[in-house]
Amino acid sequence: MADIYLVGVGGQGIITASRIIGDAAILAGRNVLLSETHGMAQRGGSVVCTARIGEVYSPLIPDGQADVVLSFELLEALRALCKASKNTVVVSSTEKMIPLSVSSQKLKYPTLDEVRTEGAKIAREFVLIDASKLAGEAGVPMSSNIVMVGALAGTGLTNLDRKHFEEAIEMNITRNVKENLAAFSKGFDAVSTKSRT
Amino acid sequence: MLLLGNEAIARGALEAGIAVATTYPGTPASEIGDALARVAKDAGIYFEYSTNEIVATEFAIGAAASGVRALVSMKHVGLNVAADALLTFAYTGTRGGFVLVTADDPSCHSSQNEQDNRYYALLGGIPLLEPSSPQECFEMTKEAFALSEKLELPVILRTTTRVSHVRGPVVVGEIVPGQKKREFVKDPKRFVTMPAVARARHLILLERLREASKLADGSALNRVYKIGAGGRSGIITSSASFNYVMDAAKMLVMSTEVLKLGFSHPLPTHLIVEFLKTHDSVAVVEELEPILETSIRAVAQHEGLETKILGKADGAFPQAYEFDQAIVASGLAKAFGLKGEIAKTVSVDLQNLPVRPPVLCAGCPHSATYFAVNKATNRKAIFASDIGCYTLGVAPPYNAADLLVCMGSSVGTAGGLARVNDQPVIAFIGDSTFFHAGIPGLINAVHHGHKFLLMILDNRTTAMTGHQPHPGSSKGPSCCDITSVSIEEVVKGCGVKWLKVVDPYDIKTTTDTVKQALTQNGVSVIIARRECALISKRDQNGAILKKHYIDQEVCKKCRTCVEKFQCPAISSVDKVQMIDDASCAGCSVCAQVCPYKAIKEAR
Repeated sequence: MADIYLVGVGGQGIITASRIIGDAAILAGRNVLLSETHGMAQRGGSVVCTARIGEVYSPLIPDGQADVVLSFELLEALRALCKASKNTVVVSSTEKMIPLSVSSQKLKYPTLDEVRTEGAKIAREFVLIDASKLAGEAGVPMSSNIVMVGALAGTGLTNLDRKHFEEAIEMNITRNVKENLAAFSKGFDAVSTKSRT
Repeated sequence: MLLLGNEAIARGALEAGIAVATTYPGTPASEIGDALARVAKDAGIYFEYSTNEIVATEFAIGAAASGVRALVSMKHVGLNVAADALLTFAYTGTRGGFVLVTADDPSCHSSQNEQDNRYYALLGGIPLLEPSSPQECFEMTKEAFALSEKLELPVILRTTTRVSHVRGPVVVGEIVPGQKKREFVKDPKRFVTMPAVARARHLILLERLREASKLADGSALNRVYKIGAGGRSGIITSSASFNYVMDAAKMLVMSTEVLKLGFSHPLPTHLIVEFLKTHDSVAVVEELEPILETSIRAVAQHEGLETKILGKADGAFPQAYEFDQAIVASGLAKAFGLKGEIAKTVSVDLQNLPVRPPVLCAGCPHSATYFAVNKATNRKAIFASDIGCYTLGVAPPYNAADLLVCMGSSVGTAGGLARVNDQPVIAFIGDSTFFHAGIPGLINAVHHGHKFLLMILDNRTTAMTGHQPHPGSSKGPSCCDITSVSIEEVVKGCGVKWLKVVDPYDIKTTTDTVKQALTQNGVSVIIARRECALISKRDQNGAILKKHYIDQEVCKKCRTCVEKFQCPAISSVDKVQMIDDASCAGCSVCAQVCPYKAIKEAR
């Protein structure tokens, strides 16, 4: 069983990422449930998707019960820590999308160090990766979401084979497939080669 | 295949051989219509995005009364609009299968209330099916059509956000094309609900409901799940709550039996009695209203059973907001006095994190309109708002919504506001919402001489729910030709004498026109027309627009561009305002907003 909590900002490709995870699970012959955010919340707001792999009925993940938190944006990683515990690995992109409340109400966007410190306090492991940079290196700068799928696979916590993810990417991405597979690979390596404690 | 609950409903309807399908888009129901719109031509069905939910329902009634199968889908509040048609259609009954899907929204994720539409089944005497998973969405849709034809009654299929918007594996069958044409057989003593007919048909409806109750008793959609060793404590549940019960029982390592009701109205009374008789205590787990709980208590009382019934009445389960497995586990623990280990959560101090609510997009014409209106009125006006993306203008810096209750309410409430207030009143309504429910209010305002300004924010689409077409659109779904209805002609036809059309990207003209409108007697109308920026961007029409940047040498750091105007492409960090080139839609509105001409076109 793996409960994966995906967060970010509307427009970051989070639903596509969750579908790839879902298809990978199906290809591996596992049961999977995904929940998606549609409608009003998509207009630049915080977006949440969940992916639960295994014999589960509910698509939701209660507080403290995610196995992996996959955050596509730095501030959202901090907000999603309520889903984490000492059993959770949190992987966050270092990408910052400044919310309008920071600009208009002069609120403070947390620093990288503050996020890291808070994350390390709560999660079993807190991993930061520069998904945007890795996507650029792979030749698909818009594919940070695929890097994040690679990062999830790299945690080894989904019990899905790498080839299932790769096949699922080919099912869901029609353009620049080779580059997107490279983006996946970069995300995978960035997390799997980190020292695991 | 992996299907969204809503897509599974569309697939089920196709396999059931529907001839027609209609909808008015609304979260969380929209993807049912969108899926059918995509395949309508290939599947040989007729599909339309109707003007509103009651028109959608009436259209489907016309088709089903003729003998073909018809599907109509809507969000929960849409059924308030459609109820007038549906409740009497239960009296006449149907010939072809008629299924109405209502997608409820516990926790108001995208809605103005969290009403529980199961009450409509009770109110109208309409059989109710409640799927829990995408697979059940598919199966129960097919079953609903069969049931509708067997009973000759409309059937309600009710989902919630966590059923409609869950994606999961679905085993599908074959699409068998159904009958697409029929000859309407006249039977006015059944289908024309004059009082004498209605009185007779009510008795027939009650008789059919007794038959339906027997069908519910024997239905495979109502079944018992044994968990662990079973035992003398039981749970009765339906819909998404069933999923939470199953996961919660695992968390609590319970031994119990779960009666899942997929066909929940009319209540399968015999099944319930048997379940109550074989258990000492039974928890009823349902989101929102205690509908099953109250009915089950009545059954127990009628049968003289002493089974302990636990639920909302004892405070074990809340009556507001959606559940999850943790809420249900804690409710079951409370109800049955269990001491299960419910995972403890770590408290994170999230109080001071900058919030990220949904906002109007970069290049959104509504932002420009609201900026101009605030400038024209100096914020001294009452704003009657409506349902759509533009409702987001309620937030600072625009504060452009003071009263909102439902689709079309801007126009109706504006009349009442204007009659008893001395401040100017401005009503905002979107193009799709205007067609949906704004027109009767406008006619009322003209007829009675109510004095307010109606601004029709015409972005050429139903943007919030995923850019569905509306009567003003020139392109519809694949299956059919459509005619674009002119908003100007409708407004004039309603008798409005003062009407102007502006491009909201032109701030000065829009501001001046609003000032002029507010000097008029009676109702004045401004159509602020500019295509939704997301569509312009997607269709590359936006390429003619020029991206902008802030010239830091000219910028006086006055913060007008972030405090009086709001654009997701403009950020202000460490006292420096910047435009993100990738996000900029090139609308040029910020350049008009800046008092120092520091915002310039990129070369």
